[in-house]
Amino acid sequence: MAELRIIGKLIPRQDALEKAMGLIQYAADFSMPGMLYGKVLRSPYASARIISIDTSAAERLPGVRTVLTARDVPQNESVTRFGQTHAVGGGFEGLYRVLADKKVHYMGEPIALVAGETEAISETALDLIRVKYEPLPGVFDPIESMKPDAPQVEEGRSNVITHFKVRKGEVEKGFFEAEVIIENTYRVPFVDHAYLEPESGLAWIDENGVITIRVSTQVIEHFRGVADVLGLPHNQVRVIGTYVGGGFGGKEDITVEGFLALLTYKTGRPVKLTYTREESILCHSKRHPYIMIYKTGARRDGRLTAMEAKLVSDAGAYVFLSPWVLLYSMVDAAGPYRIPHVRVDGYTVLTNNIFTSANRGFGAPQVCFAYESQIDELAKRLGIDPLKIRNINFLEKGESLASGQVLEHHVALKETTKKAFHALGEKTVPQGNVKTGQGIASGMTSYGRMIFLHDTSRSHISIEMDGSVTIRAGIQDIGGGQASSLCQIVAEVLGVPLKDIKIYIADTALTPHAGTTTATRQLYMSGNATLMAAQEIRKTLLRKAGEMMRTDPQRLDLVDREVIDTEGSEKSLSLTEVVKACASDGLPLYNVALFKAPFRDLTQYERIEGTVFPDFTFGSHAVEVAVDVETGKVQVLKLISCYDVGKAINPLSVEGQLEGGAIYGMGYALTEEVIVEKGEVKTPSLSEYLLPTSMDVPEVQTILIESGDGVGPFGAKGVGEPSVCSVAPAISNAVYDAIGVRIYDLPLTPEKIVKALKAKKGKIKID
Amino acid sequence: MKRRNTYPIELMINGEWKRTEVIAQETLLHILREKLGRTEVKEGCGKGDCGTCTVLLNGKAVNACLTLAIQAHRQSLVTLKGIGTLEKPHPLQESFVKHGAIQCGFCTSGMIVAAKALLDSNPHPTRQEIREAISGNLCRCTGYKKIVDAIEMAAEKLR
Amino acid sequence: MEYFAPATLSEALSLLKKWTGKARIVAGCTNTIPDMRSKAVKAEALIDVSHLRNLSFIKEEKKRIRIGALTTISGLTFSRTINKYVPILSEAARQFGNPLVRNRATIGGNLADASPAADTAVPLLVLEATVVTDREREKNRQIPIDRLFVGPNKTILKSDEMIKEVTFSKPDLGEKCAYAKLGLRNAMAISLVSVAVLLQIEGGECKKARIGLGAVAPKPIRAYRTEDMLIGEKITESLMRDCCQSVEREISPISDVRASAEYRRSMVSLLLRRLIQQIVSEGNR
Repeated sequence: MAELRIIGKLIPRQDALEKAMGLIQYAADFSMPGMLYGKVLRSPYASARIISIDTSAAERLPGVRTVLTARDVPQNESVTRFGQTHAVGGGFEGLYRVLADKKVHYMGEPIALVAGETEAISETALDLIRVKYEPLPGVFDPIESMKPDAPQVEEGRSNVITHFKVRKGEVEKGFFEAEVIIENTYRVPFVDHAYLEPESGLAWIDENGVITIRVSTQVIEHFRGVADVLGLPHNQVRVIGTYVGGGFGGKEDITVEGFLALLTYKTGRPVKLTYTREESILCHSKRHPYIMIYKTGARRDGRLTAMEAKLVSDAGAYVFLSPWVLLYSMVDAAGPYRIPHVRVDGYTVLTNNIFTSANRGFGAPQVCFAYESQIDELAKRLGIDPLKIRNINFLEKGESLASGQVLEHHVALKETTKKAFHALGEKTVPQGNVKTGQGIASGMTSYGRMIFLHDTSRSHISIEMDGSVTIRAGIQDIGGGQASSLCQIVAEVLGVPLKDIKIYIADTALTPHAGTTTATRQLYMSGNATLMAAQEIRKTLLRKAGEMMRTDPQRLDLVDREVIDTEGSEKSLSLTEVVKACASDGLPLYNVALFKAPFRDLTQYERIEGTVFPDFTFGSHAVEVAVDVETGKVQVLKLISCYDVGKAINPLSVEGQLEGGAIYGMGYALTEEVIVEKGEVKTPSLSEYLLPTSMDVPEVQTILIESGDGVGPFGAKGVGEPSVCSVAPAISNAVYDAIGVRIYDLPLTPEKIVKALKAKKGKIKID
Repeated sequence: MKRRNTYPIELMINGEWKRTEVIAQETLLHILREKLGRTEVKEGCGKGDCGTCTVLLNGKAVNACLTLAIQAHRQSLVTLKGIGTLEKPHPLQESFVKHGAIQCGFCTSGMIVAAKALLDSNPHPTRQEIREAISGNLCRCTGYKKIVDAIEMAAEKLR
Repeated sequence: MEYFAPATLSEALSLLKKWTGKARIVAGCTNTIPDMRSKAVKAEALIDVSHLRNLSFIKEEKKRIRIGALTTISGLTFSRTINKYVPILSEAARQFGNPLVRNRATIGGNLADASPAADTAVPLLVLEATVVTDREREKNRQIPIDRLFVGPNKTILKSDEMIKEVTFSKPDLGEKCAYAKLGLRNAMAISLVSVAVLLQIEGGECKKARIGLGAVAPKPIRAYRTEDMLIGEKITESLMRDCCQSVEREISPISDVRASAEYRRSMVSLLLRRLIQQIVSEGNR
């Protein structure tokens, strides 16, 4: 194929027009005749025994059709699965409990379900359910929870879910060789995904007796888990994914699906369930808080000699994705740096807090805050320029991470750091109480799932008799242009304009399984599957056209619904003619392709070694901040994001991801924290949980590098999660540059900055 | 159970008169979505913190979740669909699409309505004025840059 | 719940009397609806006064400015009169919530809600505004604003009494005002602390001083003792230090998810210092 015509162009997305017109329906926009309204009763205690549940008054309320508790669930307990079809074992799959049974483990844990004729009736019914609790001691700090005398969160198992290790060389030797050693403890908080669309779905039983769930989700393949809960065969549950109003990892676990399936199963009627915003913040997964104790040693010339880290993450009350997130952190903990001696110990620990799971970055942003702060502090201590010290230590293609994975593809860090920093320009002149500072940070984030999950994706393409194209793919679209990127790939390969391509997505009964929209994997996995399928059809078409035109198919190309001879002869055929000829000959005018990521198997679950991910995306952020040293308020003046994206399939979309990721990271750095005290969420609405508004954001500048060396289609890399990675340390490093104090825990609230400045002046001690 | 007081109301939505019945404490957002089929008006938080329910009430941009349904009686309402359609799109809608200002799209409805209110009263907004006008509309996906670009470009096109 | 939309003020007042203790006055509903959502409203009737158009006005008189209770916060930001004579009030209005909420929230509602952080209360305190109310059996009761608030979300208003107007004298030429609000973000931010200052400085000496504070006590307050320290004095660095110490003793901030009491305390004295300096330096031009 010659020069790309559609890939790499700034093309508006298919779904964007429909969204602009208000034509796309999100999960809560659907209704069905005879629909009931579901509601969930949730525990007011973080840790308690359930003595009794009396649902009789609720059941008697006119208009209530069913009230369910744990005993009504055919299989209330099973194992969490995250859309993969390969079982991994080894503690990666934790207990999944639909409704609390004899105990409650976190505030907000679901205890009962109600379906009523109206929302108001269902809400009233919740108040009529009488639950007798016996409060029990709970544990709310992961370090406390690791102690032998800590209350057990889940009966019969240790609070420590997993202990992972990374070992390289001998750290004692490495620290001995170091001429300077920096030791710090970093803390990062619970954070909410705060997608604007609260969780929602609608379920019904179709004419074939199939439990059908239309839901806003990143993982339609939870249909298997839901079927197991109901004790039904997998093909008797169907999940249809809607266009998602924001996911970010928060709609990666099962949210409303299980509840909806149960309620529709028991009542025989359609049931709708939508979380309130307060319910969403209180009860869905959060980003893992981490305590990270880092010790980094370097020579006077800046070369790193050793790194030791202890990571402790708060898993909350249920396992969910905690071991996986920790594993990512383990691989990323040393950063993209050459360090001869490394020891990392990571623990993820159950507590009676809200459960934690996937959130954009999945363990990478947490450790990036630590390792990029460490290297920045080293630079200051040694009097070495922050760019230079990084360049000295950045890994290059062909070298390996501390955990042993060889970086087989281009590592663009020197370029991204340099370009990001230079785009900052001259530091804005400070005025009065407002000091200015500049900071940089670089990071690495994987894309594609861990390779021992044996990840696959499928895509089905068919070309109609008139040359228009239909794509069927299980891909879930969460706003990152997932669906439209597949259309672009097909448009490029088959020479069919975008307007002639239709895509059906996210239906477990009707679209081939494409795996989860998580782990920044869809462009890589479904993109490649789609590319493969399109190329097969292209081969068939060009072979036929070659016969018809009596020309070597190698010379032919598909452009604008025509087959043309690229080597000059005037011959051409319309696509429709070729398609019809293929149909007459009984040739396949469709293809379903399966793309496999590399497979590996874990032989042990303790020491993290070797290849874990298909590839990484590398990038940097450069930030300029203004800090009012008296109020502590930080304003970000400039924010530059520079990433090697491999190949920008749609530059407009890629920029959008980088800009959005930058602000997602800025919120993490400055204003976002789900404050949890003794298991109670104290920031229940968007008035307390503060997202950046349009008045808080700088003009983000994005710089794309296209090395072409990604493993996605056309050499693309994934950017959805990587775009967040290094924002927080870049901001923290800029704040240090401005005021000469470093803050070791996020968010960098005005109060923390004022306290830190006072401590620096020696007026008060920080506790 | 106590009989609820219901009140018949009529309101003009996107140029058409509609009638329905409401109770005193029902919000405008609720009746728009549940009784009048206007699901393009979104619910993100129900208490005025996010702006996804922005509508024009007598030309002013307001949160439908913070307005009582009954207060819309005999008033004129414009939603996203009243601003433009596929057949006759508004430059704001076209601009949002063209400039990549739409990712998940959930904030889009409220955002375009708020932008319309701005351009109706200020056809030459600066970028800062645009930011201020949409400061009641949260977006979690885009970081706002392309949204501000889109509104700026639409204002130019309208002039 | 019943709903009434009285067409005249007297109709509203008689409804209020009839439903005393069981009704809630509503207008912009920007507090009412969130309160209903959190189950904080137990009313049996809503009396919607938003149709009383003649309560929405901003009138400039020779010596006074009168603002009708139904004037929206947006109205305050755009009013030429307010921007000209009392920019601290339009500034507070501009930083109130967000543009959507400002289009509905009213000055009367903001005062009647009596949040300790009520944005319009702080400038009105230093303007020594008077709140004018009506009830069926008592018209035109004049309540000085510093007596209106009794505690968090509690006013001195009787259960059948309604705010209809806020009024204050136009500041004299020599009276200079300044306002500042601290929030955790630049829009949709509940005040951590808000401060308004009015000073009249003649011949280097402070003739008049009024300090209004929000979000640092159970209600918006004046810092009377600190004001007394300023009156009759030249504003020196040493006096400012004393005032900052004094103001910290006049407040009783709480610690919450947004900030600690200690931070609020130090921010009050910081903002006070900055506003005094701002007024002094503007006067020196």
